[in-house]
Amino acid sequence: MSHSHSHGHDDVAVRAAALEALLVEKGLISTDAIDAVVDLYENDVGPQNGARVVARAWVDDAYRERLRANGTAAIAELGYGGFEGGTMVVVENTPEIHNVIVCTLCSCYPWPVLGLPPSWYKSSAYRARVVAEPRAVLGEFGLTLDPGVEVRVWDSTAEVRYLVLPLRPPGTESLSEEELASLVTRDSMVGTGVAINPAGVPA
Amino acid sequence: MALPPCRVIGAVPDCGCPEVPGLFHPRPGRVIVARIDGIHDMGGMHGFGPVVVPGCDEAYEEQWEARTFAMSTIVGIEGLGKGGGRPIREEMEPEHYLHASYYERWLWSTEQRLLRKGTIAPGEVDAWVERLLAGEPVPQRLDPGQAARDRAAISEESPLGTAEETRFSPGDRVRVRRWRHAGHTRCPRYVRGAEGEVAAVRGSDHLPDIGPYEGPLEPVYSVSFHSDDLFGVSDERRWTVFLDLTETYLEPV
Repeated sequence: MSHSHSHGHDDVAVRAAALEALLVEKGLISTDAIDAVVDLYENDVGPQNGARVVARAWVDDAYRERLRANGTAAIAELGYGGFEGGTMVVVENTPEIHNVIVCTLCSCYPWPVLGLPPSWYKSSAYRARVVAEPRAVLGEFGLTLDPGVEVRVWDSTAEVRYLVLPLRPPGTESLSEEELASLVTRDSMVGTGVAINPAGVPA
Repeated sequence: MALPPCRVIGAVPDCGCPEVPGLFHPRPGRVIVARIDGIHDMGGMHGFGPVVVPGCDEAYEEQWEARTFAMSTIVGIEGLGKGGGRPIREEMEPEHYLHASYYERWLWSTEQRLLRKGTIAPGEVDAWVERLLAGEPVPQRLDPGQAARDRAAISEESPLGTAEETRFSPGDRVRVRRWRHAGHTRCPRYVRGAEGEVAAVRGSDHLPDIGPYEGPLEPVYSVSFHSDDLFGVSDERRWTVFLDLTETYLEPV
């Protein structure tokens, strides 16, 4: 990372370990509880969940309608919900509209469907710039939109979390729902990317 | 444009926290109306450089960060802390905030929450730092019940309630008020004074500025803004920015 640290890097790691030691010693937090929460976000809660939501919406028009009408309830149908996802709104890309999400004030992100945010999402640069020069930022991710496309930036300033429903790539009519889910990247659901085009042909 | 008057919306409650050097303490009972913005309020700022840099694609850089995230989450679930991590991180001195890594901020706020509740005492973490540096290992203790309880709690979160009485409706033109507490707010400075249009009613929530998150229940609106009205003319084709804003932040145009 390019940023410096106010304490030595090792100092912070030791302080984190000291806090864990203190809370374990006091009998307040158990080692396996910490392990369980770490494991949950490493293995069970991540962008694979959001990809299943997107793939379902691509193959099932009725589901897509429910997703539009009430994102929270439609996402819960697939078993996803919880912290940082109490109220979910799904914003749908179209040939005319491209959506991208941010939290300029901190790092709000839809954990149940995307897991924990990558460093760039939490960076000062992303938080500062994507509201003020979205096309320049998307360009850094290698995403160049047609000049006629309207960019919509969603700043997560209240207890609402957003998920972008990316466009289904062309030429994927014969793919199964599971195969479609494998094309849905994390960045395509944040809006800094698009879904993988298996034919490699621009949409 | 004449600025609307600051509206006094409440008194700062007693934060009840122990004196910690360098920490912002609102004075109990005093109403503060100031135009102070935290360094965390970054939307529209210049000078932070590129977004895409080497190593930026991972959630964690090191394992202590994952454990810090977990401890912070468990402190909330188990009720071991006082105050929310988000508003407390905004109390960090600006230079500290900018220099600290993301999870260093979380570590700092977790320690503050524990101190403010009285769960830990000043100096106790420092004492353990010394013990670890002297070679003592981090103790281990297993509690499968707690592990299962905490893991299950993470999948439970209630949606916003329904807003019963709303001052604004979709399609209404609104202006973001130019008032501000010293302290937590969810109204970024880059939209204050700007005109926008109500796009949807999201639900009902506590006004974040009091308490924080102990203010009255109010409607929360999705409001759209044209980029020209926020940042002026740009080389980029006009875009639209949507924010979710509590009713107190808005006035009719």
